[in-house]
Amino acid sequence: MADYNDPFQEARAKCPVFSGRFQAGEIIPMILRLKDVRQAAKDHEKYSSDAPRRVPIPSEEDVRTVRQYPLEVDPPVHAEYRKLVEPFFLRPRQPEVLEKIHNLLDGLITQALEADKTEAVKEFAIPMQSHALTYLLNVDEKEADLWISWGIHVFKDGDGKSKGPFMENYSREMFEAAEENPGDDFFSALNQAEFQGRKLTMDEKLGYANIAFAGGRDTIIHTATRIISYFADYPEDLERIRENPKLVNTAAEEFFRLFIPLTHIGRVCPVKTDVHGVEVEAGGRISLCWSSANRDPEVFEDPNTTKIDRKPNPHIAFGFGIHSCLGAHHARAIMRGLITKLSERVERIHKHETQELIEEEADYTRKVGYEKLFVTFDAR
Amino acid sequence: MATVTFKQEDGSETKLQDVSGNLMEIAVDNDIAGITGDCGGVCSCSTCHVYVDAAWQEKVGAAGSDESDTLEFVDSCKPSSRLGCQIEVYDELNGLVVEVAPTE
Repeated sequence: MADYNDPFQEARAKCPVFSGRFQAGEIIPMILRLKDVRQAAKDHEKYSSDAPRRVPIPSEEDVRTVRQYPLEVDPPVHAEYRKLVEPFFLRPRQPEVLEKIHNLLDGLITQALEADKTEAVKEFAIPMQSHALTYLLNVDEKEADLWISWGIHVFKDGDGKSKGPFMENYSREMFEAAEENPGDDFFSALNQAEFQGRKLTMDEKLGYANIAFAGGRDTIIHTATRIISYFADYPEDLERIRENPKLVNTAAEEFFRLFIPLTHIGRVCPVKTDVHGVEVEAGGRISLCWSSANRDPEVFEDPNTTKIDRKPNPHIAFGFGIHSCLGAHHARAIMRGLITKLSERVERIHKHETQELIEEEADYTRKVGYEKLFVTFDAR
Repeated sequence: MATVTFKQEDGSETKLQDVSGNLMEIAVDNDIAGITGDCGGVCSCSTCHVYVDAAWQEKVGAAGSDESDTLEFVDSCKPSSRLGCQIEVYDELNGLVVEVAPTE
């Protein structure tokens, strides 16, 4: 498993599952092939999400107190929970929201063009993600200043201390403030929402806020910095997009396929289950390994080659089935905007010092993004 | 150029005249309800899922393997299912009728 971009290559060729060792010695069979992952993602009876704080791998029992909604519930209640917040996650389809995202990107690119050197994680991607999230949640853009200070990942950044409790307290305050002064924002909407004829509990509301803050944070940040890094390494592809802007969409999808920061996600087997020949005890977990599935050579020709015009490209970077990523519209709007703006305004990106962010588990090592990425942008 | 009719589950219809190119893009450009083409046409999502009218299935043809694999796990999939992003509308498809599949 030498290639840290596709550490599952050998295992995937040999067997549909790979039993990985995780925290506290937990063995988790990881489903590696695209078709098998899709099938498992659809089968919520066999592979359940009704497992508070245990859907992510590693599990998040130590870093948050609440169940994430609608990620950590199964049908039939899942659809109703999801419906309550869906309008916010569709906001990036609105032209005025898209325009704000593009203006944000323009501002960040202008800053980078004017600077001798930019650290793209802290000075570009984190502010980009935080400000864009205010548009999604329809809250005052000033809130982004605090969110920027949370770093790459709210649960496991920098000094290793989780900011989870702080984020829960902050979210509680936001719900209380919205109760006092209701508006058209995410917090007010959840205060007013009705689920099965009753108001949501504070824990449920905190569960929604938790995933809104944590779910699309490191994923957006890492994808953006890897795109910037890619164009530094392959300026000819930036040129191709400049000449043919129709490539923006296919390039974005190819970057989602290859740069997916989320290696995998968990499901729980409610009863003893045979997972492609591996037995999982009742209550045990399996992994839907998106990052492996996205490099399945049975589906993707030259899976480790970046082809910005790849089509079809049936990747599952946003998951699959009922739990497919709520933030996919947001992520696509941001990354398509980023690629467009870079191609329009930046002639060349020079890469300087970098510090990669590597996910290290007992049985694999995988690059997920950058801790630091120093770049210089040359204007067109 | 061709005329394409999009039918909805509720029986309403939208007839578009003088169109050509990718069926998903035609639908998105003309705000056809239920077709959003989220992945931009790379066969990764199924938000351009349509049922091809029986009279047009032979001319439109069957789904390719990547398309079939994506459709296979869509609950509302039928033998007439296609992803709009994989259908190119050209003169020969003048009069094409499709029904927008229910959103998953």
